[in-house]
Amino acid sequence: MAYVAAKGGEAAIQQAEKLFHALKGQVTRATVKQIEETLPYLVDRVMGEGSLYSPELAALAIAQAGGDLYEAVLLLRAYRSTQPRIAYAVPVLPGDMLTVRRISAAFKDIPGGQVLGPTLDYSHRVLNLGILDGRQSTEDQAFEPADHAAPRSYPAVADWQRGQGLMAALPPREDPDPADIPDITSDTLLFPASREHRLQALARADTGGVLALGYASMRGYGLIHPTVNELRLAHADVQVKHPVTGATFSAGRVRVSQAEVVTTGGSEKDGLTIGFAATLGWNEVKLIAASTLDMEMGQPEPNPHHTDEFVMYHTEPIEASGFCIHFKLPHYVTFASSLDNLRKVISTFYSSDKKNGQAGEPSDTALESIRQATP
Amino acid sequence: MTDSNSLSKLEQLAGPRQDYSFGFLDAYAKRELRRRILKSIAIPGYQVPYASRELPIARGWGTGGLQITLSLVGPESVVKVIDQGADDSVNAANLRRFITRMSGAATTTDTLKANLLQSRHRIPEEVMRQGQVLILQVPDPEPLRGVEASITRAREMHADADYGQLWLVLYEQLVRYKQYIQGASYPVLVNGRYVMSPSPIPRWDTPKLHQAAQLTLLSAGREKRLYAVPPYTDVYPLEFSDVPFQVEDQRAWADLKTGVKNKFMNEIPLENGGSAYEVSDTGYHDKLLARMKGEDTEFEIGPTYFDDDGNFYYDGYLKHDSG
Repeated sequence: MAYVAAKGGEAAIQQAEKLFHALKGQVTRATVKQIEETLPYLVDRVMGEGSLYSPELAALAIAQAGGDLYEAVLLLRAYRSTQPRIAYAVPVLPGDMLTVRRISAAFKDIPGGQVLGPTLDYSHRVLNLGILDGRQSTEDQAFEPADHAAPRSYPAVADWQRGQGLMAALPPREDPDPADIPDITSDTLLFPASREHRLQALARADTGGVLALGYASMRGYGLIHPTVNELRLAHADVQVKHPVTGATFSAGRVRVSQAEVVTTGGSEKDGLTIGFAATLGWNEVKLIAASTLDMEMGQPEPNPHHTDEFVMYHTEPIEASGFCIHFKLPHYVTFASSLDNLRKVISTFYSSDKKNGQAGEPSDTALESIRQATP
Repeated sequence: MTDSNSLSKLEQLAGPRQDYSFGFLDAYAKRELRRRILKSIAIPGYQVPYASRELPIARGWGTGGLQITLSLVGPESVVKVIDQGADDSVNAANLRRFITRMSGAATTTDTLKANLLQSRHRIPEEVMRQGQVLILQVPDPEPLRGVEASITRAREMHADADYGQLWLVLYEQLVRYKQYIQGASYPVLVNGRYVMSPSPIPRWDTPKLHQAAQLTLLSAGREKRLYAVPPYTDVYPLEFSDVPFQVEDQRAWADLKTGVKNKFMNEIPLENGGSAYEVSDTGYHDKLLARMKGEDTEFEIGPTYFDDDGNFYYDGYLKHDSG
C-alpha cells in the first residue's frame, strides 16, 4: 500500500518533492549564474531540446531539476508552451551567421578556409587533477588571438558544389511569410511529415536518442556513410520586422549550430545527396547524427529509421522519457485484467483434474507468449 | 500613426511578464482542442490528431486527458480525478491539485457530484448520467498497433475499415488458449464503424461505454490523438458470435471491509500466501463504508452498472455476465 495510500496521497507527494530538493544543494541566483557561465554546452543542449533560447532559464531549469536533463527540458518546454508568439524571425542564411567554427571533412581546404574555433576534439582526455588540489587553474590557459581577425561570415561549401554541378540546384527561393511556415509546436503532426516538421523535430530532438538512431544508421543499419560537408558553430542575429514600421531589426543574438552531411549514394543525376540539421545552441554530435537521419528518413530501405514516423516519435525527449518513467505509476488494474486471463488459461491447461485438458499442455513458448501478451 | 501610438502598440504586443492563463493553456491551444473535440464527437471512435501542447506534467502521465480537462474546465466545474479507480493515488492527487490551481474548480471524490471526471484506466462503478463528461487518459490510442506499428498504414486501415488482422489475432488466441487473452484495452467497435481502443480499462468497464448517457472523451497527449464516444452510442467489444466476450471473473471475491461483491476488485497479496480484495473504485467504496457507519446524510449512492449479483444493467448486452 506504500505509494497508493488509501489516504494521504497529496501530502505524500508534497513531502517527496521537498525531500528531493533537500537532498541537493540550494539553488540561488549565484548557482544559476555559475551554471550558465561554466556549463554552456549543457545549457545549449537543454535549450536545443527545450526549443527555447534562454541561457538564464535553461540554467535555472538545470539547477531546479538537480541536473536531471529530461526534467530540465520538460521545465523549459512547459514554460515555453505558455508563452505568446509575438513575432516571427526572418530566416537565417548560413552566409549571414557570425561563424566561430566551421569545418569540412569533404575537402582539405574550402573557400573561406577551415576554421577550428573552440573545440575539445584534439584534446587529451586526461582529468586535470591539479584543479582538485588547488594547484592549477584552467583560467590561466589563455588562448592567443590570431594575427588578423577572422571574417565574420563564410560562404557555404554546398554553394561551391552546386556551382560545380555536383549537387542539385536549390529550388527558387520562395520567401514565405515566416508566420506561414509549418510549426511542429502548434500544428497537428501527420505523416509523411513536411520537411519543416522533420527539421524542427530534429532540432528539438533528444541528443542521446538522435545519436543512437544516427549511429545505428552509420554503423550498418542504413546505406549511408555520411561525409561531413560542413559543420558550423555560430551566432545568429534574431531579425524581426517591426510590427508598425516594417523595418527589420535585431532583437538579440543566439548561439546556433548547423551540420550538412553528404553522400554519393543517391541518384547520379542529382549528384550528392545532402542531409541537414540545425539547432539552437552548440551541439555538434547531435547535428551530425540528425543530419544523417534527415538524409535517411526518405530512403526506401526497410530499416526502421527510414521512416520519419519512427525517427520523429522516438527521438522526442519529453515524450520518450515521460512514457518511460510513467511505468512507475500503478498498473494494478491492467495487471489484474491480464492475471485473470493467465489464471483461466492455467486452470484450463494445468488443472489437476484435467477435465478440460484434452487440448494437451501448452508448450513453454506458448506460456511465454501469454506472459508477453499481458501488458 | 504617431510614434507614441506605435510604441504603445509594441508594448501591448510584448506585454508584461504575467502568470499563467486560466486553465494553463493559452486561448489558441484551447480553441484548437475544442475544435478537435467537436470533430471527434461528430465521428465517434475516429482518432483526431491534435498538436498536443507541453504541460508541466511528464508526458505519459495523463497530459492527454489533462489537456481535455483544462480546455473544458470552468470555475463552476466539479472535478473528480481517479487513477486505477483511486482518488487518492499520488498521480491523481497531483493532477487534481494542478487542475484546481489553474482553474479554481471544486473537486469531489463522489462520481454523482462530478461534472468532469478524469480517469486513468477505470470507469466508476456507479452509472454515469447525461451531462457528465468522462475523460479517459490514453497511453496508446491505436488499437491496430499490435498488428501494424506504422501510424500511416494504420490510418489507411481505419479508412478502409480493414480490421481483418484484429479478428485473426482473436482467432489465434482461441486456437491456442481456447479463450480471448486480451486483458485491458479490449478493442471495441464504435457506432458500427471504427475499431477503438477504450484505453486500458479492464474488460469489466468496457460494456459501460455502450449506449452510455455521458460523453466520453479519450485523449493521448504523447501520441497526439483524441477521440470520443458521444452519449447513446453503440459500443461493442470484438467477439465471435459463438465465443462471447467475458469480463474478469471475480464472482468469488468479496470486499475486505464491506463484504460487497461484483464490483471490480483490487487483489491484495497477503503474507500468508493468500489474497484479500477491496473495491477498486475508492469514491464508491468510501460511500459504502460511510453508510455502514451511518454517516450517509451528505451523499447518495447511485445505481451501479453491475448489481450485487453481477447482472449488467443493460439487459442482454453481455452474453456471459461477469465471468
